[in-house]
Amino acid sequence: MCYNPPSSKYVRTNEGNPAVKLSCKQEELQRALSHVSRAVSRKSTLPVLANVLLKTDDSSLKLAATNLEIAISATIPAETDQPGETTVRADLLTEFVASLPNDSVKFELDTAGQSLALECARSKAHIKGLNTDDFPELPAIEDGQVTATIDPRVLREMVGQVAFAAATDDSRPVLAGVLCEFQGGKLTLAAADGFRLSVRSADLTEQTGEDMSIVVPARSLQELARIIADQEEAVQLWVTPNQSQLLARSGSIEFLTRLIDGHFPDFRQIIPQEWETRAVIGREDFLAAARRAKLFAQSNNDIVKIQVQPGEDELDPGIARVSAQAAETGDNEDAVEASIEGNESQIAFNGRYLTDILGVIRTGDVALEMTSANAAGVIRPVGDTEFTHVIMPMVIGSS
Amino acid sequence: MKQPERTIIHADLDAFFAAAEVRRRPELRGKPVIIGGKPGGRGVVAAASYEARRFGVRSAMPISQAVRLCPDGVYLSGDGSYYRELSDQFRAILLDFTDLVEMVSVDEAYLDVSHSERTLGTPRQAAESIKQRVRDELELVVSLGVSTSRLVSKIASDMDKPDGLCVVDPGTEAAFLADLPVGKMPGIGPKAVERLHASGVRTLGQLAHMPLPVIEPIFGKRADQIVLRAQGIDDKPVDPDGGPTKSISHERTFGEDLTEPEDIRRELYRLAESTGRDMRQKGLQGSVVAVKLRYADFETVGKQRRLLGPTNAHQEIMPVAEKLVEELLNTRRAPVRLLGVRMSTLTSGVLQLSLFDQQAQRQQKLNQAIDQLTERHGKGLITPGNLRSVSQQRSESREDDPDTYDRRTGERRGRDE
Repeated sequence: MCYNPPSSKYVRTNEGNPAVKLSCKQEELQRALSHVSRAVSRKSTLPVLANVLLKTDDSSLKLAATNLEIAISATIPAETDQPGETTVRADLLTEFVASLPNDSVKFELDTAGQSLALECARSKAHIKGLNTDDFPELPAIEDGQVTATIDPRVLREMVGQVAFAAATDDSRPVLAGVLCEFQGGKLTLAAADGFRLSVRSADLTEQTGEDMSIVVPARSLQELARIIADQEEAVQLWVTPNQSQLLARSGSIEFLTRLIDGHFPDFRQIIPQEWETRAVIGREDFLAAARRAKLFAQSNNDIVKIQVQPGEDELDPGIARVSAQAAETGDNEDAVEASIEGNESQIAFNGRYLTDILGVIRTGDVALEMTSANAAGVIRPVGDTEFTHVIMPMVIGSS
Repeated sequence: MKQPERTIIHADLDAFFAAAEVRRRPELRGKPVIIGGKPGGRGVVAAASYEARRFGVRSAMPISQAVRLCPDGVYLSGDGSYYRELSDQFRAILLDFTDLVEMVSVDEAYLDVSHSERTLGTPRQAAESIKQRVRDELELVVSLGVSTSRLVSKIASDMDKPDGLCVVDPGTEAAFLADLPVGKMPGIGPKAVERLHASGVRTLGQLAHMPLPVIEPIFGKRADQIVLRAQGIDDKPVDPDGGPTKSISHERTFGEDLTEPEDIRRELYRLAESTGRDMRQKGLQGSVVAVKLRYADFETVGKQRRLLGPTNAHQEIMPVAEKLVEELLNTRRAPVRLLGVRMSTLTSGVLQLSLFDQQAQRQQKLNQAIDQLTERHGKGLITPGNLRSVSQQRSESREDDPDTYDRRTGERRGRDE
C-alpha cells in the first residue's frame, strides 16, 4: 500500500505534565476495538502492525489499525486533558477490554510512552506500547473531497450480492477484485472469477466526483460491508486522485483500502442478450433443491443438473428438475414448479455456484435463462433489473 | 472386527534393468552394469547390477558420481520398450498364481494369495514356485516377501536381496519389524529419520510404542497411521486395477544445471505439456498443481497450489507452475538440477466452461490437435513462439531423459500411492 512516509511523532505530551490522562466508556471502547481489530495484521514483519494506534484529541479517542491492505479507524468520545498517542498490542487490548465490566475506563499514558495504564472498576493493567513512529500515516477524507455518497444498507446488500463471485486465487489479480463503476449517479459493482459473473447496480445518494471505475479487492469490500453493518449514517466514498486508494467514512468509522491496478474485463459483453429457454422458479424451492442436489454432487465434481420442461397448457406451466448423481454415493432429484417459456432444455452447473447466487437474491422468484447446455446461463431476480448473474455450465468433456 | 487373515506376496525383480541387459548380452555377466545414461551425461542411475553396487553405486545417484566410484563400469542408457516387454511377461507369470496382482512399477508387484493353500500349497511353496518360474521363463531373479500385509511383505522382500525369500508368519509381524531401523519403513524418508533419531527413536519397535504427541510434529496427520504400521498393521488391499490414479506427474534431471530463467521456463513448459497430455490421454483433469525442484546440491523442495477448477490444459498449468517455481527460487536462488510438475485431485471427463473468450473450449480443441500431431510426429513439434528454442534443445537432451525408463515409473508418471 502506498502511504506517505511516517512523520516523526514520538509519543508526546505537553511539557510539565507527566502523563496523558483519558477516560471513556468500556462499551464504546470495546465496540471500536472490535471494528478496528479487523484490520490488524496477523503476520507481519513490522511489529507495529500487530498494534492498535490510540490517539487522543480534544474530546475524543481515535483507534486505528492497518495491515497495509486495509486500514480501519474508529473515534469514540473521551475526556482527556491533553493530546497524546501510542500503539499497543491489539489482541491483548481487545481481549482485556472485552473482559471488563461496562464502566468507565481510565487510561494513563506514561510520558516515555512505552506503557499504558488502564483502570476500570476493580481491574487495572499496564500494557507495554510501541511508539507511533513506525505506524503508517493514514490519509483521511477531508470535507469537499467526497466522490460519492451511498446508503450503508444499499452498499452492504450490493457487496453481498457481488463480492462472492470474485476469484479467490491470485492467478489474475484483477479478478480478485470487484469493479466499482461510478457513473451518472449510479454505482455498479461487478465481479467474475472466470466461471461466473455477478453484476449489481444501485442509485447513489449523491455523486459529487467525476465518473470513474476502480477495482477494489473483494476481501476489502466485504470487510467494509461488515463494519458499516451497524452504521446509520450515509457512507461517504473518496477515491484518491491517483486512484490508488479508496476511503470510506460512515459516522465515526473510517475505512481505507488499496485498489487493484489493472484492466477489468468488459463484463457487459459477457452477459448473453438472448435466450432460448426461460424458466421462472420460486427462489426458495430452487435453493432448497440445489442444496439437496449439492449433497449428492459432492463426490462428482459438484455437478448439479437442471432440466426444464414446459407444461402442456396454461394451468400446467412446467417443471424444473434439479438433480445430481455420484457413482459412489447415489443420486437425487427435486421436481420444482416452474413456468417455462421456450423449449425443453437442460444445463449443468457447479452446485456451489448455484447455491451461492440463489442465497443472495431477495426476490420471491428467479429467472433462469439458457441458450444451450454449453453456453452461459443467466440468473436474474424477477422484478429487479439491477441484478444479473451469469454462470458458465459444466459439460462432459470429449476426449 | 478382525479381518480374516490374508497372505500377501511382494515380488521385486532384482536389479531389473541391469539384469535385463545381461540377459540379452551374456558377455556382460559378472560386470558392473549401470543403467541411466552415458558417462559425462547428467542423468541419475536408474538401476545398477549387484557387481556395480559393490562399488557403492546406487539407484538415483547422479551418473557422474557413479563414474567416480566405478570408472570401469558398463554404462548403458536403457531401453524402455524392452523392459516393458519383460515386465509384461513377469506380470503374466504372476497372474497364473492369482487374479489379485497389482503392479506398482515395472519390476514390482503385490499378489494376494489368501486362501489358496489347496491349489498353491503353503505361502512359502507358492513363493518358491514364483521364483522358479521367473528364473526358468525370464532368466531373471526375483526377491519375495510373504506376510499378512503389503507393508510387511514389502520390507521382507528387501531382507535377503538378491534372490531373497523371506516369510513372516502370521502373528510375528511386530516382532519381525521391532529391531529394524525406522528408515526401512516405506513412507519414512531421510528427514523423518533424522528427526526420529533426534527424539531417540531408532527402531520400528520403539516407534511402535511412541505416544502420538511425540511423533505428531514429525508426521502430522499421518502420525497414527505410522504408529500402526510400525506395529505391523496395514490392511491396504491388493488392488488389481492399481487403484484410482491419484496424480499425474513428470520430472526431469537436466544435462546441465539450469540457471537462466528462460531455460527454467522452457523446461517447465515441457513438463507441464507432458503432464497435460498424460491427463488428456487418460481423460482426467487435475485441480492441484505441484512443482518439485532439486538444486545442484540435491536439496529438494516443492510447492503446490489449488486451481479455481480442474483442467488438463498445459496452458492453465504452466502459469501456476511457473509462479510456484518462482516462489521457490525467491526463497533460494541456486542452480537447478531437476524440475517436476505434478497434477493431483484428479477428476474425469468434466469441463467447467470459462466466461472469458471461451478459453477452456478453445484450449481443449487446440490440445486435441496438438495431441494428434504429437502422436504422429513425436514431442516438441508445437511450442509457443516465446519458447521456440525448445524443439532444438529437445533432441540434444532426449538421450538422458530418465522419464523414459526410470525404474520408479509408478512414482514418476502414473500414480502416487
